[in-house]
Amino acid sequence: MARFLVLQLARLGDLVQTRRLLAGLAAKAAAGGGEVHLAVDRSLAGLAGRLYPFARIHSLPAHAGPGRSAAETAGLARKACGELAAIAFDRVFCLNFSPLGMAVSAMFPPEVQRGYRQYAGQTDKDGLLRLVFRLARDRRGSGLNLADIWAHLDDEALPAAQVNPVAVPRGGGLGVALAGRTARRSLSPDILAPLVRTLFRAGGASRVTLLGTAAQAGEARALLRKLDPAVAAACTDLTGQTDLAGLCDTISGLDRLITPDTGAMHLAAFFGVPVTAFFLSSAWCHETGPYGLGHEVWQATLPCAPCLEAAPCDQGHVCRLPFADPGFLRALAGSAKAVLPPGLALFATDCDALGAVCRLLRGEDASATARQTLRDFLARHLLGAVAEATDPAPGRELAERLVMETDWILPPPGRTASREW
Amino acid sequence: MGVGKTLRILVILPMYGGSLPVGRFCASALKELGHVAEVFEAPGFYGAFEALKTLRVTSDRLEYLENSFLQVVSQAISAKVETFGPDLVLALAQAPLSRQTLKRLRRDGVKTAMWFVEDFQLFTYWETFAPYYDVFAVIQKEPFAHKLAAIGQPNVVYLPMAADPAVHRPLEISPVERRTYGAEVSFMGAGYPNRRLAFARLLDFGLGIFGSDWDGDAALSGRLRLGGRRIDTEEAVKIFNAATVNLNLHSSVLAKELVPAGDFVNPRTFELAMCGAFQLVSERTLLPELFADDELVRFGSMEELREKLAHFLAHPEERQAYAQRARARALAEHTYGQRMEQLLGFVARCFPDWPAGRQEAEAALAGLPEPLRQETAALLRDLSLPADVTFPDLIAAVRARQGRLTPLETSLLFLDEWQRQYAGS
Repeated sequence: MARFLVLQLARLGDLVQTRRLLAGLAAKAAAGGGEVHLAVDRSLAGLAGRLYPFARIHSLPAHAGPGRSAAETAGLARKACGELAAIAFDRVFCLNFSPLGMAVSAMFPPEVQRGYRQYAGQTDKDGLLRLVFRLARDRRGSGLNLADIWAHLDDEALPAAQVNPVAVPRGGGLGVALAGRTARRSLSPDILAPLVRTLFRAGGASRVTLLGTAAQAGEARALLRKLDPAVAAACTDLTGQTDLAGLCDTISGLDRLITPDTGAMHLAAFFGVPVTAFFLSSAWCHETGPYGLGHEVWQATLPCAPCLEAAPCDQGHVCRLPFADPGFLRALAGSAKAVLPPGLALFATDCDALGAVCRLLRGEDASATARQTLRDFLARHLLGAVAEATDPAPGRELAERLVMETDWILPPPGRTASREW
Repeated sequence: MGVGKTLRILVILPMYGGSLPVGRFCASALKELGHVAEVFEAPGFYGAFEALKTLRVTSDRLEYLENSFLQVVSQAISAKVETFGPDLVLALAQAPLSRQTLKRLRRDGVKTAMWFVEDFQLFTYWETFAPYYDVFAVIQKEPFAHKLAAIGQPNVVYLPMAADPAVHRPLEISPVERRTYGAEVSFMGAGYPNRRLAFARLLDFGLGIFGSDWDGDAALSGRLRLGGRRIDTEEAVKIFNAATVNLNLHSSVLAKELVPAGDFVNPRTFELAMCGAFQLVSERTLLPELFADDELVRFGSMEELREKLAHFLAHPEERQAYAQRARARALAEHTYGQRMEQLLGFVARCFPDWPAGRQEAEAALAGLPEPLRQETAALLRDLSLPADVTFPDLIAAVRARQGRLTPLETSLLFLDEWQRQYAGS
């Protein structure tokens, strides 16, 4: 009986994006009478149980919280680690490049660890993650969804199209997710309001639900002030009024969610609710776009995009401007003749053998060729025979740049050196 | 097929893994063929890499250190090439040759060959280094050759795996050895996912499993022999010889296909055949051209495997006939000696001027007085060198000898040093 443990100690969006890995492991476990375990922060344990009913949830005090003391954290961590250590796992997937996750990994033998790892005090990461770190030097040409990186840490990933349901309207009207954790990646209410109005009218919706935490209540009020009275009257402001279960209930019933790159967006994709996403600043739909079929992403594609989240913007946040362009509003309303402003492109989500992929519908996509070359390269690297038809010649430069001698000369981290036939 | 002259060949072993013994077999075969073969013992450096893993530094720093040390190892190979002056550097898959060193060897006119004894669809790193070798030998056919040509490696030769008749041979197995190494239905190899599931369906046979990476499999734990430890080549040959039926199920990292479809033929197929041991081997598309239907018994599904197991366990005379025919074919066509001849012949065809740049030297025996000449002739036979071997090649072979040298060997080295010191005076 195979036992799998996934350590996902990050936030809501990351937990939701772990579905491809978890569902693949669940399919394996079901075939052989195995078990899937999932360790998350305490605040997400209830949601994890709802999203992944097949998994046994373990709760760790990973996030700091008001009133949480070091002594309490130590006690909770001791209890959770005791539980985990008592189980003989065949694979332990640590998904976060964080000392917390790697600290938990240290309880397990190196040969069962996957992803970020730690053994005998030495942290390390799998070959795929080493490669992903090298890819981060050129994010524009990068095109591997985070959910797929995690899924491919296992030898057999679930087919991407089987991960989330195909998106269809669920009858509950339009939803609007206010800013996510990084405000720079969201549109201000004065830019967002015309977009909401346009989509409200174009889709024939009768209800709009504003979603967010209490911290976004002010933005919700500002948005309501900017909306037409008719649209504002159709709005229900739920910011700060839903717990995670309530958020799931609301989102899963929507006809469409309008959102920047947020956890709410990933929840909508999880439940098969169509997403219209606005990606700007450091958000790059080819890395963290909504997973599955039936979503659309308006992506800022200015030469500086995607930028580094940690670096201050020295361009005056110009990536917001295309979203305020009248041509964009006409395009959003469905006009085929509308001329998109430069620096903006529309992508539709799709799946291929490697995973999630965003395909250009409108605008220009200067990095498309580079991304496809990279995907072919990664497909050969990760899928073997499935990628036999791809031509290695265009990927020569990538093979030179992304692969280091350590990758082929040394045994993969944690694997035995025997590698007999 | 051979090149007709004594060559100096530096064999670069990998630090670990399945291609390591293959490299040793190659070196041994090259010596048998009369060439002067030296081996770069990369496994000796492996401990240093393991030590890096105990430093407890950040993962980025660890990666940097690993890369840096690998460059040092690669430079050690460069230094070895400078000193030994090989006509060919033969690297096995995972050999620690960096791209930088390969570029330098090409610039210096040293021919390099890689025997990539791996599945190109699983080990995709060939895309990175293949164009830097002069010759690329592979165990798969199309589309691999086409893909190699597309990235700039036109000199591709199909070179299937083989066995070493001096190592893989029929053995008399004592009753004690039979208790240790024997099984009615035997498997020797690593516990890949498909094998774990497949063998769990054979528990009604007298199954014995030898080898590593079988941990944590409750269903098979009772059938695991010798504590699931790694098996060296010598013990593997005993296991092959002590089995009634040897299973040879090709590996797959995917569990969904118990009997995986595939093209290349694993080394175990040749080794079992060379041992004269009976085997049931899983279907491979390249197998029929290597062994005929009346030489090896193949299976394509678990049902077929069970059916054939039952049949051949009950028919010892049929088993023996198959095993004898397989051994005859292996001896005739599938030795490492033959593979090395094929490889050297291919290098010679690709590069008509090869080997070039070496001064014509007098035969070693020509300049020696009797009875030293007779004594040295015996040494040449011992070293598997031809009678017309040059003095520099003889000295290279003597330098490669392990342990204390004999008075004859020492005097030849002395003569070599004397000639260097007083050359031209």
